[in-house]
Amino acid sequence: MSELSTRERIHPGTAPGEDYHLEIVGEGDFATADMTLSIGPAHPATHGVFRIVLEMDGERVRSARPVIGYMHRGFEKLAEYRDYRQIMALVNRHDWLSGFSNELGVALAVEQLMEFEVPDRAQWIRMLMAEWNRVLNHLMFVGSFALELGAITPMFYAFREREDIQHMMEAATGGRLHFTYNQVGGVKIDLPKGFLRTSAELTTITRKRLVDYRDLILGNEIFQARTKGVGALPTDVALSFGVTGPTLQATGLPEDSRVTEPYLKYGEIDVPVPVGENGDAFDRFFCLLGRIEASLDIIDQVLDHIGPGPVNSKLPKMVKAPEGATYVRTENPLGQLGYWLESDGGRTPWRLKMRTPSFSNVQAIPYLLEGVLVPDAVAVLGSVFFVVGDIDR
Amino acid sequence: MSGVLARRDRALTPEETEELLRDRLGEAAVVGSVVEYGVFTLRIAQEHWLEAARRCRDEPLLAYDLFDNLFAVDMREEGFDVVTVLYSTSTGNRLVLRTRCAGGREAPTCPSISDVYRGANWMERETWDMFGIEFEGHPGLAPRILTVENFEGWPLRKDFHLVSRGVKPWPGVKEPAELDEDGNVIERVPRIGDAPGPYELDKVIAEQAKLANPVPEPVTAEGGNVEELAQDADLASDSGQVLTSADEQAAEEAEAQASDVAADVAGAQAQDLEQTAKDKAEQRRREQAEARRRKAEERAADADDAGAAPDQEGNA
Repeated sequence: MSELSTRERIHPGTAPGEDYHLEIVGEGDFATADMTLSIGPAHPATHGVFRIVLEMDGERVRSARPVIGYMHRGFEKLAEYRDYRQIMALVNRHDWLSGFSNELGVALAVEQLMEFEVPDRAQWIRMLMAEWNRVLNHLMFVGSFALELGAITPMFYAFREREDIQHMMEAATGGRLHFTYNQVGGVKIDLPKGFLRTSAELTTITRKRLVDYRDLILGNEIFQARTKGVGALPTDVALSFGVTGPTLQATGLPEDSRVTEPYLKYGEIDVPVPVGENGDAFDRFFCLLGRIEASLDIIDQVLDHIGPGPVNSKLPKMVKAPEGATYVRTENPLGQLGYWLESDGGRTPWRLKMRTPSFSNVQAIPYLLEGVLVPDAVAVLGSVFFVVGDIDR
Repeated sequence: MSGVLARRDRALTPEETEELLRDRLGEAAVVGSVVEYGVFTLRIAQEHWLEAARRCRDEPLLAYDLFDNLFAVDMREEGFDVVTVLYSTSTGNRLVLRTRCAGGREAPTCPSISDVYRGANWMERETWDMFGIEFEGHPGLAPRILTVENFEGWPLRKDFHLVSRGVKPWPGVKEPAELDEDGNVIERVPRIGDAPGPYELDKVIAEQAKLANPVPEPVTAEGGNVEELAQDADLASDSGQVLTSADEQAAEEAEAQASDVAADVAGAQAQDLEQTAKDKAEQRRREQAEARRRKAEERAADADDAGAAPDQEGNA
């Protein structure tokens, strides 16, 4: 008996208040019970308070329904009550693994509205920090994804690098997660002495250790068996959902805002974009590792270009954006982050809409989970890299 | 991001895009267009919203395949705008479509484009959750996607006040957003027809609790209800002292504007407000004086007790 015909004989509940009708279907030894499995809101595989309800047919997922909103903090409303300088401290919190990149988008949007000229050195520093932030973020997911598949060692390795990088960034910004280093017109203060040398040393060390990750994880037979061919996402479906970042690049499309819509000084340097072939969990992880290496390449190029000069410009006493609207899209570690900033000429934004990458990426999860087995569901959830704060805002 | 619109050789310019869409959808479909800060925005008549999105995706010359964003903007009395951002990975163009919702502020509606782009499903649910815009043809807007299920009101509408500020005034110096040019506090007075917020819900619950177990209400010297005062207080600042200084400034401003004919109405309103605020401040000062007096008496009584039994205290 085919699974399809078995599934067709399962009917939803008919009695009032009954979600589904629990009924033994199939015949003989293959009898299975229809079941609803709720993962979360506090499940290790979800990186935060995220819940997903799976309709199970035996071991197979029939349909999945993500339940989000547990961490909604109303950033868009709060932003309407704060002036442009205060927003920086607000927006670096929605995706807590990429604080600097979150700030960057708002800073660029406000500068665009105010037609502000940002000094060259500030732009290079922003690129440097954004790329280090990306490395930090991706290292976290390298560790956590392997952990979800049962390998605990990569987590420790990843945190070894993360600590070094965080120490260095802390020296410049004073923060470990919430940097608040951007400001309208540049960055807060200049880099501390020795920062560039430490950067250069850390790129060498991290690049050496990336080889370990490749051998340890990508070359691992168990890892390959668990991820290859699991949760494949076609390119057109990904685009229709608005999926971006490593998840989109894994489908074979080299779409990256740093290349296709260069901001800051990305147009002047070479940005490598890793792409996958099948769009499955393995490819997504492959792209994630590739993006770390790409970021290290960019950091090396930035170190060649960065020169002396001012790092910020003097702001007027009252930061006011003229009436108008702009849309700024930047490449955040997890995908493309968009800020729609509409101003009515006042000191606070009239509307600040955040287009967060995780929100769009998570939307594709029901599509990916349809028909997979339960252990694969964990691999799928872990490979669509998302941060719950970034979904709920 | 200046060279975005003409990056790849076969990409259409904004003018060509507009012309193409006018040709395909009819002259009436495109209401207007603007390019600002490198972002090309097309205003679409609402009847053609769904068709416009479909054309943008399917027209080979446009090929807007990446669904980027969908949200609403509060346009004050005019209602709400729904905005969607599309991007083409093949031409590198980005297009913003914008339409005005039918139904004004009371019952805004907009056609759903979730059939065209899968990503629009959640974005429209979010927009409904935040603005209360009904998307016709959407597979299911409820339950609320980001806020809690029993949340009341539409939080991103401008007439929905930030709850934390309504319940408790911000301590210390006000934030820049709440001060005008000269550093005076901008008082936000709720208007008629405001969406009910959780604060209103709290009031209803408190009301019900009071009915369930009634307690004699404390009455002030003027016969005013203490709870009413507390409710009024969230319109005013946190202490009577600050209030009066703010009031004096308001009065000065009102005098200065008196010559201006247009300001007459506003001045009258300000004076009304000022009068009620002054009364409240007066009452509060009296209450505080009363409380201080009572406290002083208690303290005196304590001191007497301590004086009567000094040995015990010394031993302790």
